[in-house]
Amino acid sequence: MRRTFLSRLASALGPVWAVAAVLVVGFLIVLAISTDPVLAYRDLLFANFHSASNFALFLNRLMPLLLIGLGVILSFRAGVFNVGAEGQLYLGAVAATAAALALPDLPRPIGLCAALVSGMAAGGIYGWIPGALKVRLGVNEVVGTLMLNFIALLLTEYLVTHPLRDPVAYGAVSRVIPSSAWLAEIPDLPGATSGTIVAVLLAPIIWLVLFRTEWGAQLRAAGSNLRFAETVGVDAGRLIMVAMAISGGLAGLAGAFYALGIGHRFEQNFSPAFGLVGLTVALLARLHPIGLLATAAFYALILNGAAYMQIDTDVPRSLVGLLTGLLVLMMTVRPRRSALAGT
Amino acid sequence: MSAERDLLLKLQGVSKRFGEKAALANVDLSVQSGEVHVICGENGAGKSTLMNIVAGILRPDEGEILINGRPVHFSDPIDAAGAGVGMVHQHFKLVPSMSVAENLYLNRQPRHWRVFSDRAAMRAGAEALIRRYRFELDPDAEIARLSVGQRQRVEILKALGFNARLLILDEPTAVLTPPEVAELLMIISQLKIAGRTILFITHKLGEAKTIADTITVLRDGERVSTRPSRGLSEADIALDMVGREMRPPHRNIPPRAGDRPVLALSGVTMTTALGRRLLDKTSLSIAFGEILGVAGVDGNGQTELTEAAAGLAQIQSGAILLAGRDVTKLSVRARRNAGLSFIPEDRLDRGLSATMTVSENLCADLYRRKRLVGPGGLLRGAAVSAFVSATIRRFDVRGATPSLPVGQLSGGNMQKIVIAREMEKQPIALVVAQPTRGLDIGATEFVHGQILAAADAGCAILLVSSELSEIFALSDRIAVMFRGRVVGVVDRAVATEESIGLMMSGAVVEAGA
Repeated sequence: MRRTFLSRLASALGPVWAVAAVLVVGFLIVLAISTDPVLAYRDLLFANFHSASNFALFLNRLMPLLLIGLGVILSFRAGVFNVGAEGQLYLGAVAATAAALALPDLPRPIGLCAALVSGMAAGGIYGWIPGALKVRLGVNEVVGTLMLNFIALLLTEYLVTHPLRDPVAYGAVSRVIPSSAWLAEIPDLPGATSGTIVAVLLAPIIWLVLFRTEWGAQLRAAGSNLRFAETVGVDAGRLIMVAMAISGGLAGLAGAFYALGIGHRFEQNFSPAFGLVGLTVALLARLHPIGLLATAAFYALILNGAAYMQIDTDVPRSLVGLLTGLLVLMMTVRPRRSALAGT
Repeated sequence: MSAERDLLLKLQGVSKRFGEKAALANVDLSVQSGEVHVICGENGAGKSTLMNIVAGILRPDEGEILINGRPVHFSDPIDAAGAGVGMVHQHFKLVPSMSVAENLYLNRQPRHWRVFSDRAAMRAGAEALIRRYRFELDPDAEIARLSVGQRQRVEILKALGFNARLLILDEPTAVLTPPEVAELLMIISQLKIAGRTILFITHKLGEAKTIADTITVLRDGERVSTRPSRGLSEADIALDMVGREMRPPHRNIPPRAGDRPVLALSGVTMTTALGRRLLDKTSLSIAFGEILGVAGVDGNGQTELTEAAAGLAQIQSGAILLAGRDVTKLSVRARRNAGLSFIPEDRLDRGLSATMTVSENLCADLYRRKRLVGPGGLLRGAAVSAFVSATIRRFDVRGATPSLPVGQLSGGNMQKIVIAREMEKQPIALVVAQPTRGLDIGATEFVHGQILAAADAGCAILLVSSELSEIFALSDRIAVMFRGRVVGVVDRAVATEESIGLMMSGAVVEAGA
């Protein structure tokens, strides 16, 4: 047992070293281009904690990364390469907005719940479609989810510029959601949506489901060796469709939280590619829900910190893109162990 | 022993450790020029490690390698190839999407102006090589389209193309069908006549006896014996390999004849999408406590037969009955719940998920049956590990802990996990395919014991094997399949290897009942 604990610790420390190395290399780059590298780095990493409102913005970025990351983990563990989180997120956001706008007179908890359920259902169905296409017709899920992203983006663009459009606002935004359907803020943190709390609590729950239930074992069996899963009587097709529906539902929930708790309306450009970053943090966490808490937090930290860095110094926020590239590179490095060749 | 100068290869005091474990301890070996030298040993005895050292893949911790009396230190396989040592691995190292000729000339293609590959010269060279050794191969054929036996011949040619004087074959027959084995043994005797020296690794005694001039036995990383093959019996070799007398397991309770069949297939037909018949009106029935062995050359419908019975493959017509109940339309899970177990032919393909743990592979569909699920659907961790630990002990799975990825176990211990899972349910019927493929003598004995014990307990067993000796050792009746049909069912008491072999070749349509 001790041995497995140590090896787990070692595998958890791997990403930590990678992050540290990337920060060092990043600092060297900032040193080369900036007149005030220390301030730039202090902003990037610590400005998030300078004020309650900065911290609230950090939490708001953490929420979609976590929910999308958890969804990605579920689908990847089931062996489905779901790259459609962005589309599922958009549909969830627009469906929640539409529901809240269509039912303005419902009492508070009911209206809010209806909007949340609409968002989850829209994302869920949108995740289920490529799952069903894969299982029933053999359509490759990468192609399916990628193409559905475009459909979702164009569909929401139509909705937000026509039926849902706010006639008095500038840009592609919907009418403001009635405050009866707003999601509560975290007490004492103005601007921070309580959706983040739900997202953080879901991480250990997803871990339990994946690693401590029969369903989770079946899901991972289907994902790691489909023919084995079939042989021991797992209905893998059904399992894959359910996993995709939950995965899409989580992305949809992120969209609903965003519309109801942060934007209070649907904005066409609300996502700085949350879908893609959510996928990245899930992969960096090696598809582990608890590891995701760390990778998503780190990403939310530098995504948000980069904004302050750009304001205060001459370092552009595209530094984050560079750090991301370095980090992915670092995480794919594996030390060679030649002594492990078998007998 | 002949003169020292005839020694092509000499190893002195070779040792190799992997971490704590000594894989080889102080091994001496002398290989005469022009002989076929067989290295025998159980899985994990150090055969492959020793050969990997000779072929330059591993470096010894201690000891010397001499070729033609001169010490050599190989830094990699290319180095070894330069010295005339070529190795054909158990898992082939070929590029599936390239042609035979391209694979033969990989990394050393003839070139025009040092840049463009000279395909005509490459093809001509490949053809000459194939003709010289009379291998029936098409130089333009894509590797992916070749059978396993043909791929192996490409590997052998590749080694010969590098002018290997010493050819090492690592368990070459493990992946072959019986006719392919016969062909390979023929090829080896031709190579010997052509003056090549061959080191042949196996744990199959029959083969070793047939082909060897000299047999060396390794056990637990040490050399036990090196003796001329002539005058040795299979029992002598087995004794050296295992270190104890073998006791072949036997039935305690004979099957009760005339009982109602527990598992029956009637008129089962399965076709490919193009209409080719994989199973053609196949009918079999197995009684309480009976073992029905299915013999046949691989690829005559045996795989399809087992998958149809297990519910993993759709059948177009016919019926499958389990304890008198029609289960044709039932899912895999429903059949398993009704008391059917299945041990598939390839443990890493269908039998296990290599990256998941021993515990997860063992418990796969036993969680509810063994009451391992607690309130709220959560698994009861303590109960799971108690069950898994007890099962590991009962089935003597060596090196296994519940949280170890199952792919890290040896082949025999992996197979024990599959068998444990399928036997734990106390099935009323068991479909088992190639139960001992790739296993050594000790593990084979264990697996055979388990199958016979299940039959003693009343389980009806459908046993598919391409090893005739296994069929004869376990079966009560023997069915022979040819081109998707059952061409005959014979009582073991009256069957002979010759009569069954004849039926396998399709020469006899019906023999007895």
